[in-house]
Amino acid sequence: MIGFLQHLIDALALGSIYALTALGIGLLFGILRLINFAHGDLITVGAYALIVPAADVTARLMIGSWTPAAVVVAISMIVVVAALLTDAAVFRPLRTASPPTLMIASFAVSYIIQNGILMFYGARPKAVDFWSGANVQITIGALRVPLLQLITLAVTLVLMAALTVFLRRTPQGVQMRAAAEDFRMAQYLGVRGNVVIGLAFAISGVLAAAVSMLYITQSGSLTFQMGVPLALFAFVAVVIGGMGSLAGAVAGGFLLGFIVTMLQAYLPPDLRAFRDAFAFAFVILVLLVRPSGLLPSRTTVERV
Amino acid sequence: MAALLEVENLSVRYGDLMALRSASLSVDEGEVVCIIGPNGAGKSTTLAAIAGGVRPVSGDIRLEGRSIVGRRPEHIARLRLSLVPEGRHIFGTLTVEENLQIGGYMLGDRAAARAGMERLLGHFPRLRERLRYPAARLSGGEQQMLAVARAVMTRPRLLLVDEPSLGLAPRIIDQIYEILLELRQREKLTLLINEQSSARILKFADRIYVLRGGAVQVEGRAADLRDGEAIHRAYFGFGTQDSAPAETAA
Amino acid sequence: MHVFVARHQTPVLLIVLLGAAVAISEVGGLDALQVTLVEMLIRVLVVVGLYVFIGNSGVISFGQVGFMCIGAYAAGWATAEPSFKQVMLQGLPELLQENQFSFPLAMAGAILLPAIVALLFGFAILRLNGIAASIATFAFLIIVNSIYSNWDSVTAGVSSLIGIPTPVGPWVALAFAAGGILVAHLFQMSRYGLLLRATREDGVAAKASGVHSVRMRLLAFVLSAALVGAGGGLYAQFLGILTVDTFYLSLSFITIAMLVVGGMGSLTGAVAGVIAVTVIVQLLRFGERGFPVGSALFKLPVGSGELGLGLLLALILIFRPNGLSGGKELALIRGPREMMPEGGAVAGARALQDDSNAVA
Repeated sequence: MIGFLQHLIDALALGSIYALTALGIGLLFGILRLINFAHGDLITVGAYALIVPAADVTARLMIGSWTPAAVVVAISMIVVVAALLTDAAVFRPLRTASPPTLMIASFAVSYIIQNGILMFYGARPKAVDFWSGANVQITIGALRVPLLQLITLAVTLVLMAALTVFLRRTPQGVQMRAAAEDFRMAQYLGVRGNVVIGLAFAISGVLAAAVSMLYITQSGSLTFQMGVPLALFAFVAVVIGGMGSLAGAVAGGFLLGFIVTMLQAYLPPDLRAFRDAFAFAFVILVLLVRPSGLLPSRTTVERV
Repeated sequence: MAALLEVENLSVRYGDLMALRSASLSVDEGEVVCIIGPNGAGKSTTLAAIAGGVRPVSGDIRLEGRSIVGRRPEHIARLRLSLVPEGRHIFGTLTVEENLQIGGYMLGDRAAARAGMERLLGHFPRLRERLRYPAARLSGGEQQMLAVARAVMTRPRLLLVDEPSLGLAPRIIDQIYEILLELRQREKLTLLINEQSSARILKFADRIYVLRGGAVQVEGRAADLRDGEAIHRAYFGFGTQDSAPAETAA
Repeated sequence: MHVFVARHQTPVLLIVLLGAAVAISEVGGLDALQVTLVEMLIRVLVVVGLYVFIGNSGVISFGQVGFMCIGAYAAGWATAEPSFKQVMLQGLPELLQENQFSFPLAMAGAILLPAIVALLFGFAILRLNGIAASIATFAFLIIVNSIYSNWDSVTAGVSSLIGIPTPVGPWVALAFAAGGILVAHLFQMSRYGLLLRATREDGVAAKASGVHSVRMRLLAFVLSAALVGAGGGLYAQFLGILTVDTFYLSLSFITIAMLVVGGMGSLTGAVAGVIAVTVIVQLLRFGERGFPVGSALFKLPVGSGELGLGLLLALILIFRPNGLSGGKELALIRGPREMMPEGGAVAGARALQDDSNAVA
C-alpha cells in the first residue's frame, strides 16, 4: 500500500510536468490548430538561459544564480519573448495554412532553435546545479516525498487555477476562448485576432518557462534536445485529453503521468523498456476509438 | 449623397471556382435590402467578402464612400458593420451572456456595453432566461436569436444577416423577422439579408437583388417584383411561361 | 508515339538528370563527393516513396521513416556476419542467425517487411482523416523507434548492428532511385493513382461516386512503405552499420523538408527537393569547414547546415507553399493537356491551404 502511494506521488509529480507542458501545447492548438512541437524547445531555451553562454561542459550559472524571484521573472520574460518571436517570424505568415503544414512549420522552428542552441552552447550535455536544495526529502508518515515534487505539484495547480480564472473572468480570457472555438467568428465580432494569438503565445511561454525551471531542478542536466521528449509526451496528453480542450490537456497530462509511472512500476521487467511504445500505441488507440479524446470539449470534435 | 454600402464589380475565387463574378450592389442608409438566390449562388460569399472574411480577386467595397477591401474582419467590425453568418456560429462552450459580451468588448466602454445588453435583452426574453447556460444548449431558434443579438451588441449601423431562416420552423422564422424589424426601428439599423426563398422577404424588403451563378441577374424594388415572374426567371434561368429551360451557365 | 513520349517523359528526364550526376562524378574522379551522391540517391528513393503516399493522398505522414528503419534492419538481419548475429542478435530466428544472404534477397526483405507492416498499420489508421491520421503516423514512428531501440536481442538496441557488407555504390543507388521514380510515375498515371487524387480533391464526392478512398490510400501507403523500406535496405548496405536513432525525428524532418521544398504536388518536386536540399546543406557544410576569403579563412559556425535547412524550410512554407516545382512536372514536350502527368499543383495547394477559412 505504501509502495503504491509512493508511486502515486511520483505519478502526480511527473503528471504535473506533462500537464503544464500539455497546457501550453493545448492552448495554441485550440486557437490556431497548431501542434507546436517547438514548445519543447522553448523549455530548452528557458533552461539554457540560466547559464553563461559557453561551450564548456560544466555550466556556470548566470541568471540562475540570482534570487529566486528574479530568476522566475527573467526566465519567464526570455521564454515569452522567444515564443512571440516564433509567432512573428514563422506562424503569423502561415495563419491560413492547414494543420499539417503548421505542424511541419513547428518542426522547422524546433530544428532551428535546437541547432541555434547547439551553435552557442555545444552539443555535449552539461551538468548544472540549480536550486538543488529543493531536492531534499520530507517524510509524511511512512512516505518519503521529495520537496521538489510537492513544489512541482503546487506550481502546476497554481498556474492552472490562474489560467482558469483568466479564461473565465477577464475580457481577454473570454475573447481567447471564443477565438479558440471559432476564430473567424470572433474576428467578425471585433476580437483582434493577432492580439489574442500573441497573448496565447505569451502564456504558452510562461508555462514553458515554469517547466524549464522545475525540470532542470529535478534533472540537473542540460542538453540541446532536452525539450523534445517533454513535447512528445505532452502531445500525447493533449491527444488523449481531447485536442482543443484545456481541461482535457491537464487531465491527459496527469493520466499519462499515472500510466507511465505505473507501467514503469508494475510492467514485467522485460517489457518495461517498451513503455514509450505502449504510451504511443495508446495514442493511436484513442484516435481510433475515441477521436475526440477521453475528455472531449463539445465543439472541437469535427474540426480535428 | 453616397450610399451607405457600395459593392462594385466584386469577384471572388476559391481555387478554380469563381464564386462571384463582377457582382455590384448598393444599400442606402435605413433600407432593408435582400439578396435572394439558390444554393451556391454566391450569396454567402458576398456577405463574407463585405465583412472581410473572404478576400476578393477584384472589385471594390465601400462603406460610406471609403474602400474597405483588404481590411481584416475585426477592423471592419469597428466601422460599425456586423455580420450574422450562415449557420449562426455560436460559441457553444461559452455562456449566452459571454457570447453577448464578446460583441460588446470592442466598444471599450463596459458600462455602455452592459446597458446595451440590458436594452437588447428586452427584445429577447428567451435569452434573458438562459444567460448562464452554455450556448450549445440553446435550441436552433434561440441560437439564431443569440447570433442576431450578439451582432447587434457591436452597435452596428449596417447589419448583414445570412439566411436567418435556415433550418427553422416557420413560426420561429416569423419571430426572428419581427425582431429584426423591431431592431431596425429602435437601433436605426440598415439591413442586408440573404434568403433562398423570396416569399417572406418580399413583404419586408425595400429592394431585392437576385443572384445566380455568382452574378446579379435582377435587381429592383420589392414592390415591382411581387408578381414573381421576373424573380422566377432570374432564379431558375427560365420563366414560368417558357417551354424549355434555357440554361446557359456551364 | 508523341502522346506516349509526352506521357512518360518526366521520369525519363529525372532519371537522366540523376544519371548524368553519377556519370560526371565517376568520370571526373570526384571521390570526395561519392558519399554525398549515394546518400542523395538513396534519399531520392525515400522521398519519392514519401511522395507516393503524401502527394497522391494529400495526407501528411510523419511516420514513413519508420518503414525505412524496418527495411534497413531487415536488410541488416539478412546480410550481417553470422558470427556477429550469433553473439549479439540471439533473438533472431536461427535461419537468419546462421546464414548470410545475398544482396537481392536482403533487398526483397527490405521491401516486403515494411510493406506488410504498412498493410496492417495502414488498415487500422487510414480511415482517420487529416490531422488525426498525421498524428497516428507520427505515433507510429515513435513506436518503431522505441521497439527497435529496446529490443536488444534482435536489434542490438542502442549499440550498433555491424558487419553488414557494403555492395551499394553510386550505380546501384541510381538503379534503385530510377526504379522508385518509375514506380511512382506509373502509380500516379494508373487508374488507382487518379482515383486516389480524386478522393483527395473532394472526399465526399469521391465516396458518393463509389470510390473506396480508404482502400486507395492503403494501396499508396503500402507502395510508399515498400519504396521507403528499399531506401532503408540500401542505406544499411551502404553504411555497413546501423543505429536505430538514425531513423528518427531528425531524418523524418529532413525527408519531409525535402518534399516540401521541392513541392509535394509533383514527382519532379520530390526529386528536385532532394537535390536542392542536398546541395544547399553541403555548401553550408563546406562553409563550416572554412574557405579562404583573400588571405583570411572564413568559417561558418558548426550547425550552420542544420540551421540553414530549418530556415530554408520555413521560408519555403511561407513564400512558396507549393515548393520549388510549384506542383508542375518536368517536361520538354508539350503533350495534349489531359495527357500530361499532372501531379497536381491544385493538390499541393489543397494540402497546404486550409479550405475552411475561405468560406465564413
